[in-house]
This record gives sequence, structure tokens and C-alpha cells, in this order.
Amino acid sequence: MKFITTNFVKCAVKTCSSSDKAFPLKYEECQVVLDEQQEFNPEFIVHMLDKLNWDALVKVARDLGKTDLPTQKPEGLDPIMEDDAAVLRDLHSLLIQSNIVEGKMVCENCEHIYFIKNSIPNFLLPPHLC
Amino acid sequence: MLPTPILKDLDYDNVYEPSEDSFLLLDCFEDENTFLSQKFGIGSPIITEIGTGSGIVTSFLMKNILPNGFYVATDVNPHACVSSINTIRLNNPDSAKIDVCQMSLTTAILPHTIDILIFNPPYVPAEEVPEIPQQYRDSRWLDLALLGGSDGMEVTWQLLDSLDSIISETGLAYILFCARNKPDLVKLEMEKRMWVVDKIIERKAGWEVLSVLRFMKRKN
Repeated sequence: MKFITTNFVKCAVKTCSSSDKAFPLKYEECQVVLDEQQEFNPEFIVHMLDKLNWDALVKVARDLGKTDLPTQKPEGLDPIMEDDAAVLRDLHSLLIQSNIVEGKMVCENCEHIYFIKNSIPNFLLPPHLC
Repeated sequence: MLPTPILKDLDYDNVYEPSEDSFLLLDCFEDENTFLSQKFGIGSPIITEIGTGSGIVTSFLMKNILPNGFYVATDVNPHACVSSINTIRLNNPDSAKIDVCQMSLTTAILPHTIDILIFNPPYVPAEEVPEIPQQYRDSRWLDLALLGGSDGMEVTWQLLDSLDSIISETGLAYILFCARNKPDLVKLEMEKRMWVVDKIIERKAGWEVLSVLRFMKRKN
């Protein structure tokens, strides 16, 4: 599961949908592997940055031990500018290349635990929670 | 004609083997290529295929139609999750901007996130929608890809009823139907609910007539 996906997934339990604690999930005991084969596409990162919830991103990064992200979302990055390109490359490494291979995702509202195994997150609920 | 994705070593005892319905979706997106490129080509849309199965449809879109999107595919079947990710990596080795998540429909995806939703649902009319097996080794995983309960529409209605909160403001959904699902009535009902519904493609496949409808939010 790529880091970027943590910005799009929440707890699947229906009664958590109205809670602001069901997103982002809390990431625990995660094993992260860098997939360097994934090519760098600066425009893609610029477009995705627009969509991302930066606070959630910073929180999940902290769960995974990365604490050096700025508190404000970088805005107006231009891939042609050298400094901006470096920021975009770092974001590419975090968002697309960082892959959570194994780990747990915990809802901070209902405390349900979801597992990531072989890079695939499992959001299926047991019958009593459906 | 755009190339069909390569499929290799898939476990068709447990994963739906691409059939006429899958190929109809590929042709649908070939027809929609210009429309989608104009609407989303400059940006990076979020694309979700529900029940991605072998991964053939998502691979096709990623390779041929919207290479700059980010894809979050879902399937309840764990075997399908593995198969689809293998197919996608095989066809897009260095730009697999995708995750495959095991989930029912889009239940764990944040509301109003998905720009393009694709669903080839379990559309075969049956007494009931099968329960999700609790074990990895179970012969019934494949049934989930096929059996859709009353009119073959139970799972599809579950999705359509919450479509408004699933897709983004400018989002679209492409859903496949067979004639026994009564797609003309579905279209009328959804138009009553203020959706713009267009039939993109229709084809006779054996004794079935399959079609794909596109759903868009009506602009006020």
C-alpha cells in the first residue's frame, strides 16, 4: 500500500462515517519498503498535491517515523525550478515509492484494527460490523 | 484499436476470467477516450474500479486512456486483489500508480474522492447475494463476482443509492448491465434523482444483451 493511499482511506464502519476521528487511520507496526522502480513524474505530484489533505499526510508520516515534513502544504511548486523539483522528488519518494508492506491501521473512533499484508490493505469487516 | 492488456498465470478457479462483459468495458473506454482525455487528461484524476478481478480493465485504462491518474481498485476477493496487482504491474512495470484494496464496494474510501468509478457488478439474477467467505481457501469466492440477487441488481443498487456521496463533484460512474437488470428503468429512476445518464455502448453477447451506462451529476 503506497503512502499516498493513506490520504484516501478511512474506517469502513458505517457509524464512523460521521466521526472526524475515522480519518486518517493510525498506522502501527508498519514495515515500509522503497520501490525505486516507480518513475518520477513531477506534474503528477503537483496535481496530486492539490487533492491531498496535508494535515492527514503529516500525521501518517509521523506514525511511520518521518517527522521532517513542513506543517504547511507546499504551494505553487514549479518542476522547472531546481529547489521546487527537489521538493517534488522528495514527495514522490514519500507518496509513490514508499510502500507499506505489512502493518496495522487503527480507527481512532471505534478502535477497529485493519491489517496490511503483502502490501494489500484489508478493509473487509466482520459480519457484526457490516 | 488500443492493445488489450497481457494476462499471465491467473488463478481462474478463484478469480473471474475476462469475458464478453470485460471486453465490452474495454471497448466502452476506447469510445470514451477523447471525452475522458478532454475532461481529465491535463490533471490527475482518482480512478476506482470496484471488483477489479483479473485487473484487465484498470490495466487498460492506465496504459491507454488515463496514464496520469491515481488508481485505487477494490475487490472483496483476496485472490482477485493479488491477480489484479500482478496484471497491472506486468502491463505498467514502472508507472503502476495504483493500490488494490480488499474491501466491499468503496466503503473505506473517503467520500467525494473518486473522479471516475467503474463497476462490472455481479449482475446475474439469483435468489440472493452470496455471503463473503471467511476463509482464504473457499470455492465460493467466484460466486461473488456473478450473483446479484433480485434482478441481479441488489449490489448495483447499493452502490447507486450512495453514488452521490462516493464520487467527486465532477465525477463519473460507468456501470455495466445485462438486459435482465432492466437498465432502461434504472436510467429513468436515476434521471428522476437528478443524474445525467447516457448509454455508451450496447452489445449482444450470446443470449445476453450487455450495456454500459455512464452516470454524471447534473449541474445546477
